[in-house]
Amino acid sequence: MNPTQAQLDACVTCGLCLPHCPTFRLTGDEVASPRGRIAAMGAIATGALPSDETYAEMMSFCLGCLACEAACPSLIPYGEMLVGAREQLAKDQPSLAGRLRRLLAGRILNMKWLLALVTSGIGILQKLRVVGFLPKRLRLMRGLRPLRVFPHSVLGVRDHTPAEPAGSVALLAGCVMDEWFPEVHDATRGVLQMAGFQVHSPERQQCCGALAAHEGAGEEARRMAQRNVSAFSGYDYVVADAAGCSAHLKEYNQWAEGGESVAERARDVTEFVAALIDRGLLPTFAEARGPVAMQDPCHLRHGQRITAAPRRLVRAAGYTPVEIDQDGLCCGAAGLYMVYEHETADELGASKAAEIQATGLTTVVSANPGCEIQLRSHLGKGYRIVHPIELYWESLS
Amino acid sequence: MMLHQEMARLAKGLVSDPVAGAPDADITLAPTSAEDAASVLGFAAEHSLPVRFWGGGTHQGMGYPVVADILMSTHRMSSIVDWQVDDLTVTVQPGVLIADLEGELQQRRQTAVLQEVPGQSTVGGAVAAGLSGWRRLRYGPTRDRALEVRLATGDGRLIRGGGRLVKNVTGYDLPRLATGSFGSLGLITEMCLKLWPLPPEHAMVPVQDAERALALAYRPLALIETNAGATLYLSGSREELEAQAERVGGDLVSGHRWPQPLVGAVEATLRVPPSAVAQLVEKLRAAGIDFQAAHGVGEIRLVGSLGELAELRDTVEATGGALVIGKIPKGADFDPWGKPPEGIDLQRRVKAAFDPRSVANPGILPGGI
Amino acid sequence: MTLVDDLQAILGPDRVLSHPLELLVYAKDAGVTPGEAVAAVLPETTQEVSACLRVAARHGVPVVARGTGTGLSGGAVPDEPALLVVMTRVDPAWEIDAASRCAWVGAGALNLDVSRGIEGLGMHFAPDPSSQAACTIGGNVGTNAGGPHCLAEGTTVVHVLGVEMVTASGDVVVLGSAAPDPIGLDLRGVVVGSEGTLGIVTRVLVKLTENPPAVRTLLLTFDSLRAAAATVSATIAAGIVPAALEMMDQPMVIAVEAFIHADLPVDAAAVLIAEVVGLDEGVDAEAATIERIAVEQGATSVRVAGDDAERELLWKARKNAFGAVAQAAPNYYLHDTVVPRTALADVVTQIYEIAERFELEMMNVFHAGDGNLHPLVAYDAREPGKAEQVQAAAEEMVRVSVAAGGSLTGEHGIGLEKRDLMGLVFSPVDLDAQARLRDAFDPDGLMNPGKILPRGARCYDYGMSALPESEPS
Repeated sequence: MNPTQAQLDACVTCGLCLPHCPTFRLTGDEVASPRGRIAAMGAIATGALPSDETYAEMMSFCLGCLACEAACPSLIPYGEMLVGAREQLAKDQPSLAGRLRRLLAGRILNMKWLLALVTSGIGILQKLRVVGFLPKRLRLMRGLRPLRVFPHSVLGVRDHTPAEPAGSVALLAGCVMDEWFPEVHDATRGVLQMAGFQVHSPERQQCCGALAAHEGAGEEARRMAQRNVSAFSGYDYVVADAAGCSAHLKEYNQWAEGGESVAERARDVTEFVAALIDRGLLPTFAEARGPVAMQDPCHLRHGQRITAAPRRLVRAAGYTPVEIDQDGLCCGAAGLYMVYEHETADELGASKAAEIQATGLTTVVSANPGCEIQLRSHLGKGYRIVHPIELYWESLS
Repeated sequence: MMLHQEMARLAKGLVSDPVAGAPDADITLAPTSAEDAASVLGFAAEHSLPVRFWGGGTHQGMGYPVVADILMSTHRMSSIVDWQVDDLTVTVQPGVLIADLEGELQQRRQTAVLQEVPGQSTVGGAVAAGLSGWRRLRYGPTRDRALEVRLATGDGRLIRGGGRLVKNVTGYDLPRLATGSFGSLGLITEMCLKLWPLPPEHAMVPVQDAERALALAYRPLALIETNAGATLYLSGSREELEAQAERVGGDLVSGHRWPQPLVGAVEATLRVPPSAVAQLVEKLRAAGIDFQAAHGVGEIRLVGSLGELAELRDTVEATGGALVIGKIPKGADFDPWGKPPEGIDLQRRVKAAFDPRSVANPGILPGGI
Repeated sequence: MTLVDDLQAILGPDRVLSHPLELLVYAKDAGVTPGEAVAAVLPETTQEVSACLRVAARHGVPVVARGTGTGLSGGAVPDEPALLVVMTRVDPAWEIDAASRCAWVGAGALNLDVSRGIEGLGMHFAPDPSSQAACTIGGNVGTNAGGPHCLAEGTTVVHVLGVEMVTASGDVVVLGSAAPDPIGLDLRGVVVGSEGTLGIVTRVLVKLTENPPAVRTLLLTFDSLRAAAATVSATIAAGIVPAALEMMDQPMVIAVEAFIHADLPVDAAAVLIAEVVGLDEGVDAEAATIERIAVEQGATSVRVAGDDAERELLWKARKNAFGAVAQAAPNYYLHDTVVPRTALADVVTQIYEIAERFELEMMNVFHAGDGNLHPLVAYDAREPGKAEQVQAAAEEMVRVSVAAGGSLTGEHGIGLEKRDLMGLVFSPVDLDAQARLRDAFDPDGLMNPGKILPRGARCYDYGMSALPESEPS
């Protein structure tokens, strides 16, 4: 699954990606840059150099934030190339750590019962106030919302159908989204119903497969995508309220037979609702509730080039969006990255937290679960990190 | 004397009457071409005869005194070689008087932005001494307009660096190296300068607080403070001039009247970071020293006593700047440059690259290079 | 002790790279030619750079400095196996003297970061090469980088008041100062644009330029390139030196528009981006004059950027131009020659003829105001003989530029790319003088050897003696 020669050739090595790459900004080392990684992919793909540990480290060190892709004047599909290279690496160099990661992303996250068990466990740990003592690598535990000891799922939910529905929506339940962020799902369902949509969360759906794909567990990712294609058939739209998931759904054409049907209907909840607001199907409130800091999830900003929609929601909810940086540099969460490359993730998280602290604002809006966890774990007490759809739903209700 | 005769024979036709104001030398030569200048320098190198270059004589008080066997005057190399009006470039020989060049350029409403009150200064002299006009605040120093140079080097070669182009990074920047080199590399036999169009109108605004005016005005030509007060120099359209006057809160006076050069037994220039000007001006005013200070540039021209200068030099060098002598009485015990710059070995080696026998204005530069 | 051992003793294992894959990453800049490094180091301080250079000197290994590798002429690509000194981490705390309008910044600071860092002071760093978001200040110094706004403001050398440099022997020297006209020879001026052949610059004293109170950006559309070029000449002749005056031809506009979506006129033969800056009271009049001149020369439409966002989009379009070419073909060769601006139209016409004759797909995007041409050839290097064809065409393009009174490079530098063409503009004696200047800084020839000057630039290579034989007197 190494990148194709055509993809590799598209890189003219202009270097305009470098300043947009968080790992390059941290290290100043082109080994940790998109241009460098593409050069390395090329050397491996052509067989000029052997696939070894150094190569594996290079590919693993990438956050997959796609900031380079958005900056690339040659329109190189970097994300696709990275995912391909990682899948190939999984075959060529099946390390134990890599296998564990793929097991987690490709299987465990898709096991509802196990995830529910873990969630209950964490919920208990939270109640016992021992989360702070967990090792650094598990910092993400400190970034979780208070979890329910008895989690409930949206799977199989079929919300009350309006008399004349504006359309039907399949809501992606997701893996951790479903267990750890039920409030976001609630808000999404509430808003969409109010706009007159019939909202279902089909029972036979799976995790979207994004994390599996990013970890090089291609087969598992394809399997999940394939199941979701059938689970989501028949709905007008497939909506996800996690940016990483909506970005992946839009790429289903690469992952499943008939995947383009999902890709075409997939929407991030922010863009979907922003459009409804623009069409006057949902109300707006006067901007009187004060400023909030905006954090753009990479898979929304770079992956889907969506920046206006979350701001539209925030304004409509009566808040004033405040920008925290110019470049939308990754916060360091990047899926499982914050676990296995926790040192780099921590550096990025700390600098993102510092930017937020500099604004003096205590409410931060982010449309992706990973970012939310990362921000909360670095900002600590006194900050509210919230999905834009939640803010909007609060204003509505 | 044998040598002198041989040289006279070689340089037949180049021998000139002694130049007014120039010190005694065995022989005064005035080449008419770059090739002549180069052969004289080649001969001088061969026989280790120091050569001193002479233009209008206005900056000859600068640097360590040069004791030379040959005085080479540029007064017979005084043509405008090539003026590309639409390209905004002009190529001249070194002996062209600044006044003549600017007069010519003005007819097509252009300027080389050289000294506004040049007296007998030649273009070659100003470039070799690295001097600029007051308008450098707006247009930058002369060295930033040196596009191409032809140099008769100290070992008698004729070399060219740069090009007659407003933008060019082909090869090492010899035009900049030559600017301010005080003839230490050889004689500049031709140079191309970048020109600027002259804006339609000129005016001045007398101001109370120079630094404040500098902060308020948008890229003025100059802001000069003298013992008599501070003046903002402007150019542009009538509307722009009025807008600038309004920004600084002063009244427009039409036209430009530039300060006349300060004349005294001891003339010097302070070169300091622009942020140091205001304080120095206060100090000079308090000491009753005659000065002309260019705010925003960091250049302060003055006349004073050697005692006053000695004290000023300490202050100036502490800012990272220099006190540079323009003129002192012969034999006075005062270093014309002061503390030499860093990298003096590099300076020495660079000179040697062009003038290995050290015959071109030998010893004139800081460090006696 | 090997070179790598010695370097690791200074920098530790993490900042010394020697794995083939890591070195491959550093083999190329944004140009076409790859090179080979024996090791790459990532120093953080001037002292570390100095220590690395001493080690290299002891091992007799040549040294090549590199910033972010956005150069196009191979300046940062080793010509022979060398130690690559990657300067991106060399960015100590800045020292800003706002009152003197200058600041010491690290060589590893990114160009745009410097301007952003001083935004609050109402100032910016004027040189703005297209790669400004990615390129380092040290790299700008190395190539004497230009950019659209160098038309009125001058190239990097005008905006560098001083440099801290490590010489080949590892000595640290500060050249230049915040005070005007530092005494002695202007070595700072020589170091700028010397492509790392005289030493490695570690810190740079940059001049800060006041932001203009008002800006007007015009997009002028023409149905012939000649009309656009004539507008450039006529504008300068009218006594206006705009802040920038940039031209793009139709193929270029089409490629850029596909990436940027700036609503550029894709059906026009050529577009000019003209920008005037200054006081509110002046910019409209200047913009109107340029508009009038353009219409006189046959402009088919004139659009004035309505706000900052539109203006930024136009510049983004211009600055992403060359990368956008990869959409057309996998390889490109971006030329950089300079001609007197009055010769622009003629030379551009000849360059089109050359491209046609060699059957090359060419686009043009260039700094028309200073006669700085950037013909850009998109090609597929896998096609047999194509690369040679591109090279041959390139040389012809340089030759016609030189014949029109121009020169080899306006802002990209000589590097590897054009060193063998130096003889087109300089005589052997000229080149020998430059070689001696270089030797004065680096007698052992360890600093970025093989750049700028052709092999054999020294006089003895021509059988000339260094000095006329001295006769007994």
